[in-house]
Formats: sequence, C-alpha cells, structure tokens
Amino acid sequence: MLVAWRYRKRKNSFIQSFDPRAWIIFFVCFLVSTLSFWDVRFLLPFFLMAMFVLFTSGVKWHEVRRAFLFIIGFIFFYAILTFLTGRGGTEQYAEEHLIREFKAPFSLFGWFPALQVTVERIFFAVSQLVRVSSIAMMTILIPYSLNPALYGITFKGLGLSDKFSYAMDLTMRFIPTFGRDFQLTMDAQRARGYELEKIRGGLIEQVRRLGPVVVPVVIHAIMGSEDIIDAMDLRAFGVGPRTWLDVLTYQFRDRLLIAFGVLMLVTSIVLAIMGYGKFWVPEFLIAMF
Amino acid sequence: MTSATSPLVVDNLSFRYRDRQGAAIHNISFTVNAGEVLLIAGASGCGKTTLVRCINGLIPRSYKGEMSGKVLVLGEDVQDWKLSQISQKIGTVLQDPERQILGTKVVTEVAFGLENLGMPRDEIFSRVDEALNFLKIQHLRDRETFNLSGGEKQKVALAGVLAMRPSILLLDEPLASLDPASAQESLDAVRMLADTGMTVLMVEHRVEDVLRIKPERVMFISEGEVRYLGEVAGLSKVVNYHEVKLPAEDIVERAKREPAPVEINVLPGVAGKGAGKEALVKFQDVTFGYESEREVLHGINLEINRGDVIAILGPNGAGKTTFVKHAIGLLKPKSGKVLVDGRDTREASVAEIARTLGYVFQSPSHMLFAPTVHEELSFGPLNMKHPKEQIELEVKEALKIVNLSEKENDPPLALSFGQQKRVSIAAILAMRSKILVMDEPTAGQDYQNYMNFMNSILQLPSFEAILFITHDVDLALIFANRILMVNDGRLVADGTPQDVLRDFDRLKANRLVPTSLLALNIKRLSTTGRFMSAEALAHT
Repeated sequence: MLVAWRYRKRKNSFIQSFDPRAWIIFFVCFLVSTLSFWDVRFLLPFFLMAMFVLFTSGVKWHEVRRAFLFIIGFIFFYAILTFLTGRGGTEQYAEEHLIREFKAPFSLFGWFPALQVTVERIFFAVSQLVRVSSIAMMTILIPYSLNPALYGITFKGLGLSDKFSYAMDLTMRFIPTFGRDFQLTMDAQRARGYELEKIRGGLIEQVRRLGPVVVPVVIHAIMGSEDIIDAMDLRAFGVGPRTWLDVLTYQFRDRLLIAFGVLMLVTSIVLAIMGYGKFWVPEFLIAMF
Repeated sequence: MTSATSPLVVDNLSFRYRDRQGAAIHNISFTVNAGEVLLIAGASGCGKTTLVRCINGLIPRSYKGEMSGKVLVLGEDVQDWKLSQISQKIGTVLQDPERQILGTKVVTEVAFGLENLGMPRDEIFSRVDEALNFLKIQHLRDRETFNLSGGEKQKVALAGVLAMRPSILLLDEPLASLDPASAQESLDAVRMLADTGMTVLMVEHRVEDVLRIKPERVMFISEGEVRYLGEVAGLSKVVNYHEVKLPAEDIVERAKREPAPVEINVLPGVAGKGAGKEALVKFQDVTFGYESEREVLHGINLEINRGDVIAILGPNGAGKTTFVKHAIGLLKPKSGKVLVDGRDTREASVAEIARTLGYVFQSPSHMLFAPTVHEELSFGPLNMKHPKEQIELEVKEALKIVNLSEKENDPPLALSFGQQKRVSIAAILAMRSKILVMDEPTAGQDYQNYMNFMNSILQLPSFEAILFITHDVDLALIFANRILMVNDGRLVADGTPQDVLRDFDRLKANRLVPTSLLALNIKRLSTTGRFMSAEALAHT
C-alpha cells in the first residue's frame, strides 16, 4: 500500500492558505527565477522569501529535521568541494584574486597539493549556498504542506491528462513508500546478521554486497507496481474521461499569488537576458587583493 | 445444474501460465446462482487464485498464458469484454487490502471505480455513502486509509467494490490478515450481501470460520482440478482432514478411526538445562513511541524463560510486532530496558543479538534476494561466520523442516507466496539462534503445511524458547505453553493457554473468537488436564 508524506492541516500556515495549483505554479516560477541568477544581491530576496515561507509554514522542526540535515549536509559538502577544487565556478568568473595560498609540504608524484583562497571562490561558495538552500527550503516544504488527497486533482487542474495526473499522484506517494520498504528490508537483513556498515572490499565487491538490500527493495517496488496496476484495472481505470471527486476553486489570493509568481518570473528572465544578476564580487574586495 | 441465465457459469476452464509447465487449473466447470455463497477451498498452489483471475478477467488480460473454456457472466461470454466492462459486473477483493487500496482517504478510495466510470459527482457521493452505510463504516468516511486497522482496510476495500454495484463478488482469501473478530465482521457483511441477491465466491483457507456463515456450497480444488463440489455437509467426508481445517468435532470423529498421534517432544534441547530457571529475555518497564507520536507500548514487564513456547495474541494494531521488535533491538525502548542474555539491547547491534534471537519477519518479500534457495538460507549462517560444513547441514535441515528440499536450487523469488514464507522461516532456522521469534508464521500457508512445520520446529534441539505472533487461537492452544495477550500496547494477560483462553469475556475484549477446538478442549479439560489438538483429543 502506498503511504503518504507526513502531511497535516496546520493552523495559520501561509503555504496551506493557497490552492495547491496556485502554489505549484508559484513554486515553478520561484525555481526558474532563482536559477536565473548568480549575483548574491539578486539571490538574497529569494532566500528571504524562502525563509518567510519556511517560518510561516507551521511545519515543526522535528518533522523536517532529518530531511533538512541531509540536504544541509549535501549543500555544504558540495559547496566546500567546489571551494577546495576551484572547479564549478570557473564558468562564472575569468580571473581570480588571491587572498592566500596554502601549500602542502609534500609532493604526490611531483605534484604539490595547494589550496588557493581567492575572493571569487569565497563568493562563489556563498552564492551557491544561498541559491541552493533557497530552492531546498521551498522544495522540502511541499510534501509536508500539500494534501496527498489532492495530488491528482492538482495536476489535473494544471492541465495534465487524467492518466498523467493519477500517475503523478502515485509517483508522489511512491517516494515515501520506497523509504518505508527500504527500512523494512534493512531491518529484516540486520536480523540475519547483515551489517551494511561493515561492508569491505573494492567498489564492485561493495556493490555486490549491497544485493541483500537492493534486490528485495527493487523487487518489492516492481511487485507493488503490478498490484497497483491490477487494482486500477479491476476498477475500470482509464476507460474514458474520469470524474474527480474533489473540486478546487481559485480564490482571489490564489490569483494574486500566481500573478506575483509570473511577474517575478518574467522580470527575472528579462533581467537575466539583459545581463543582470551574473556572478558578482564586491569591487572593494577585488581592490584589496 | 448449468443454466445460461445463472449469474456465473464456468465451462470447462483450463489455464497454463506462459512461463510455467503444466496447467494451473484443468477442466473446471460449475455454475453459481444468485444469492449463493460458494466457498472455494484447497491447499496453497492448488489453482484457487488462478480460477479467480480467470473469472475477473485479469487472465488473460494481465497474466498471459494458454486459456481454454468459457466464463459466462449473466449468460454472456466475457472473452471479448474489456476489463472495465467485467469489473462493473464482477467485483474483486484481493487477499491483502494493502495491495488493493489506492486512495489516501476512505471516501476517495470507495469512489475510485465510480470516478473512473465518469459518473456525476452527486451520484458518486450517494453510492459511496450507500456502500459505507451498508457495511456500517460511515464513521470512517473522512479517515486516511493508511491509518486504518487491518479489518477496517478490508471493509473499505470491499466498500470500494460494492459501490460499483457488481452482480458477482469474488473474495480471494479476504480473512488472511484479519484478527478473528474483524474476520467475523467481514464474513457477516458477506452473508448480508448474498442475502440481498449477490453471488459470492470466496476463496479461503480458514474453512471453519467461513462455515459459520453457512455457505450454500463448497468447492474443494486439488492440483488444479475440482475434487468436490456440493453441500457443506459432504465436505468432511471427501477431504483429508489433514489438508483442510474442519470443525473440531468432525476431526475428532474421523481421527478416532486412525492411530493416536505421536506425542511431540517440545524443545528437547532445554531438558538438561533446566526449563524456566533462567530468563533469556527480560522486559523491564518498557515504553515506546514512534518519534513524537503517541506512546504505543506502555510499561511492559515480563521474562521469557528457557522452555517457553509463547503465542502472542491480540487485535490488529495492538503493538504485537512493536513489542517483538524490541527483543531483537530493531526498536529501542523510550524508557525501561530490554535485556537479551543479560545484555541491554541498547548496547548491542542487531546483528549481535541475532546470534541469540532469530526473528522471522511477517513479509517474506522484504528479505529474499539470493539467486537460489540454498544461498538464501546460507546468508544468515555466513554472516554469523559458521563453519562451511556446518552451514551445509543447517541449510539441509531447515529445508526439510519447511518441506522445500526439492526447491533448494530454485530462485526464491520465483516461488509462490506460501513457499516464500516457508523459505523466510527456514532462513532463520538455519541460523540456529537460541530463541526463535516468528511474526504470523502461518499467514498465507495452508493448514497441512503449517501444522507440519510447527510440529517440526518445536522438536528442534537448538531452540531454548519460541515466540510466535498469531491471530489463530487454535494454533496458540495446540502449540504454546504460555499465552501473552497484547492490546493497546499493554500486556493484558500472561499465563498458560488453559488459564488465558478459558475466559471468553477476555477473548471478546481482545477481538478473539472462541473456536470449536477451544470449546471442545474446555469441555474435556477436567479429563485431559491441558489443551491439545483435535487429533489428540480423539484418543483421550
């Protein structure tokens, strides 16, 4: 059985005060707009907007702690990796202004490992953090705020076909179901003395030893899909246009949100095309080094 | 009696799955009348589910193979019908409601079929309410399906089918995952439907339970062929009572004519070590709750001793699985302690505890992964670093106990559900832990198989204590020497089967239903001094 994300109706939640279709449209506008810029001054309003939505969502920290810790860890790892290697940002800036260079006192096959701390690298890491964390905040909130019972009608309301809308509904619920099955399989194998953390050997051997977890989870997912197809077939799914029991109605505030989102998107795209919002480093910092 | 106007006529039906040798069902013919309940019984893999799939149209539309013969619904051959047409005439409730429920809320789940037919919304709401009222579950209308109990899920799945107003209802082992009281409620609903004129075909292992609602006829299938089709009274005369679980009085009557069963030597390894003297597992004031949610175990205190064969009974969602998961350290108590062999489960890894306590999960599909049954069974002992020669012996013995020796080189994932379940039990048996814990070991198994492997497991010298979670009161009274009754996260009874199961009010409060075997045992308790199987009772 498909399980749902931990949704619940929350008191005074800003995000939940809108029609889910309006929020999805706004979210897409936000996503594209944020991705249009690298200039931290342009990204800051989006970051603040995401913070506002987060703090008015009514979602409690203990509910999203795991998801946030995972994503924060990932973002920091990625940003630090980019900072250390200096790669990733080179498409955004042509020259670098060195603040300090750290050189290793040893060589590896004639190469001396070195870390160059430059103004550009620091600012690129900051821009990257602001950009990705804005998107992450907005994305994580969706499963905790959108009513799973309305997934299907939301996508239908956005103009998708019956079949595609229901498929999206099932896909959204498949993710937490996959997580539950993974946990159950891990537990079942641990009860047979299997310890994931003690896997040793080369890469191929390590992948092979993941079999006891990966195979049951994948097989279960396939079997689950077949059950779903049977259950849908046995109740006449896909025979013609279907009636959706739930009805969504746009309110004034939903239209306002969509208008704001579209305006934000158009403005962002126009600014980006005009060359605004590209990677930026304060002039005074460049002058200093 | 074959009539073209009967709701359902099956005429000379045979089917062979594309990837299997031999026909799954062979030359099956029968007619079912309006208002009739036809019970279909038979061992695992006898062809019951294949017959259901042929009738509801999943064969040959979703499951490919060679099919011959006819299925006539209300006089019309359904061969060229679309599945959607068939589903409006024939409603199917699958074995596990978890596999059937698609909606996130009860109301959307029940409405699913009607939405697909494109009905007006007012009509949908009216039919949904009608189905919910009929099954007396109107109060569940706005609940989330995920949070329902097993019995509630089964009724919601049934409501979803009934809302489409089919003429024929197919139920494929609808009682498999239900506690006895929920099973009884579901059966009452089925009887009510038949009494309103619906034709009902019910595939079920729990024959005795279904007999309570007085099915008009019974069909017994063996190896894909109909061995018996007729009134209930004739069933006990033609079937082997070791294969199909009949009412206790019938078994006693027939077992009298056979030699007395051999008394089994329970946990022979314990004899020299002093049963009951030493606690193997201790629960000390254990409370537990999932993250911030409400507490699901409240102050559990108990000891599991050498020589204990414990049956854990209780309603769906009572906390039975949560309780046993603490014993192997998969869950750690919120407060209190669980000690296994004197060691706090907080201080040991699950893999370490598994050397002492083997745990068979409820669902086999969450653990089977290996290319052969042999490798699957070797996995646990290999992790425990048993010597190679010993592993070979452990695997062979475990396979023999679960009656799967001939499947040693088959891929476990290609076996039937019942066989997979037995592989999952054998995989833990091969680890030779001191304590064996099984979560619903008999679910999806036929009577003969589970009676045989329970008998064999209890006689293994390696185990010092055995626990099993079950909804089957008879299984508990035959095999256990101690009953734990769990309800709402509390231990509500702990004692011998004679002490715990004699109290019918307590059974009722814990959603258990007295069986004919229990009644007969209580009647004869002054003579026998303890509970036993019907075969043993026949010789007392």
